[in-house]
Amino acid sequence: MTGRVDPAETFAYVDNCLDPQARGAFEARLQADPELRREVARWESQNRAIRAAFGAPPRSALDLGGVSNENAGRRSAESARSVDDGARPFGQAQKRSAAAAAIAQPRPAGSGPTARRLAGAVAFAAAIVWVGLPSLGPRPPAGLLAAGAAAARALADLPVEFVGGDPAPLAQRLGPRLALAPPLAPDLRLVGARFAPGWRATATLYLYDDARGERVALMVEPLDEFAATPARRGEADGFSVAVWTGAGYGFVAAGRADADVAALVAAAGADDEFPPDSGPQRR
Amino acid sequence: MSSVREWSDDAGALRRFGLALVRDDRFVFDDVAAYALIDKLFRQASLALVDSPGEDRRAARVRAFGQFIRLYRRHARRLALDEDGGWIETPPSARGGGSAAVGVRSLPLELREALLLVALAGFTHCEAAEALDLPLAVVVDRLARARARLAAHMAATRDAVAAWPQNAYLRIVK
Repeated sequence: MTGRVDPAETFAYVDNCLDPQARGAFEARLQADPELRREVARWESQNRAIRAAFGAPPRSALDLGGVSNENAGRRSAESARSVDDGARPFGQAQKRSAAAAAIAQPRPAGSGPTARRLAGAVAFAAAIVWVGLPSLGPRPPAGLLAAGAAAARALADLPVEFVGGDPAPLAQRLGPRLALAPPLAPDLRLVGARFAPGWRATATLYLYDDARGERVALMVEPLDEFAATPARRGEADGFSVAVWTGAGYGFVAAGRADADVAALVAAAGADDEFPPDSGPQRR
Repeated sequence: MSSVREWSDDAGALRRFGLALVRDDRFVFDDVAAYALIDKLFRQASLALVDSPGEDRRAARVRAFGQFIRLYRRHARRLALDEDGGWIETPPSARGGGSAAVGVRSLPLELREALLLVALAGFTHCEAAEALDLPLAVVVDRLARARARLAAHMAATRDAVAAWPQNAYLRIVK
């Protein structure tokens, strides 16, 4: 479908060179054409990477709590559909679902030793498939997860350096490189932010309070060179952790309660590789 | 006051553009040289504004960037003549930076200047054509080529980074 759109027009749109009328017409086409949307996002991401690489301030702060969330939610839905359609290499998600289903199967009534051995073999095979096979899709870097967990452990319970519950003004105080408005989750109250040592660069640690007064942390680190990856859940240092990348940033959400982390991942609009209804969470 | 800030923004944009564009270490463009040159270019541009009040700030900005581009092109031509056409810019990796920076610096000069004017300095395509003294179609074509090459470079770098842990192994030394 993108073939009908002149690439020059796509560049003109990305570089903000279209007059309002042409821009409106292009955006109408954009709504109807997911492939064109992907292409526009690709060139926009490249523009951002160039600006970040040479220290230029971003053209406008990306607001994860607003419009981008809506887009990310749509991307998430599209991505979920593509998994259902078997677009994932080797149908890994289906393999894992099948394995989870096999584990969850009730034991047959009146099972003898042979049936038990068979069930044990099935469970063992399922466990190998579940634990042993690496994800074949893009993965967020492990170092990012370690840095996020370490920052949450060391800094989450300390007073914040920048107090503020309003995402956009809070993000603007951190400077252009880190001016990414944090998401607002329904049951979490944004308390403020601190600077934290990230994986490769200085990162922001946004801190939230949950209903029980426990701290939840979201580390945001500029990572210009990584493609978007879905959120992966895990556990580190007693924290439930989710790590993902996108829009030129790496994100690590860390908290003591799974639900808080899941709420932050959902509020940020990240594609969750293991959404709550897809079976057991990998830890 | 706001115009002072705008000029200062423009000077910052030109300095970033210059540092990104210049790849030859013989064209001394460190921070001190950048400030001196940019100060001179914008002084010229602001004097032109005084001389012709009808001209707007945008035109002065385009002229300052255009002058810088011509200055670097002249340097490239002179070195090419001095070295019998064998002028080679410093390899891009020598200056370090992430894959986007290395990718941009590995582009040929004519692609690099078009891409950086638009993506880094925020010029429209028409302004870029004016600053580069080229037809609009040529600028758009160069932009497309530059973007495609940079995307390929960044994808290759990303793949190499992603593939590293799998390819990394200890060699048995006998």
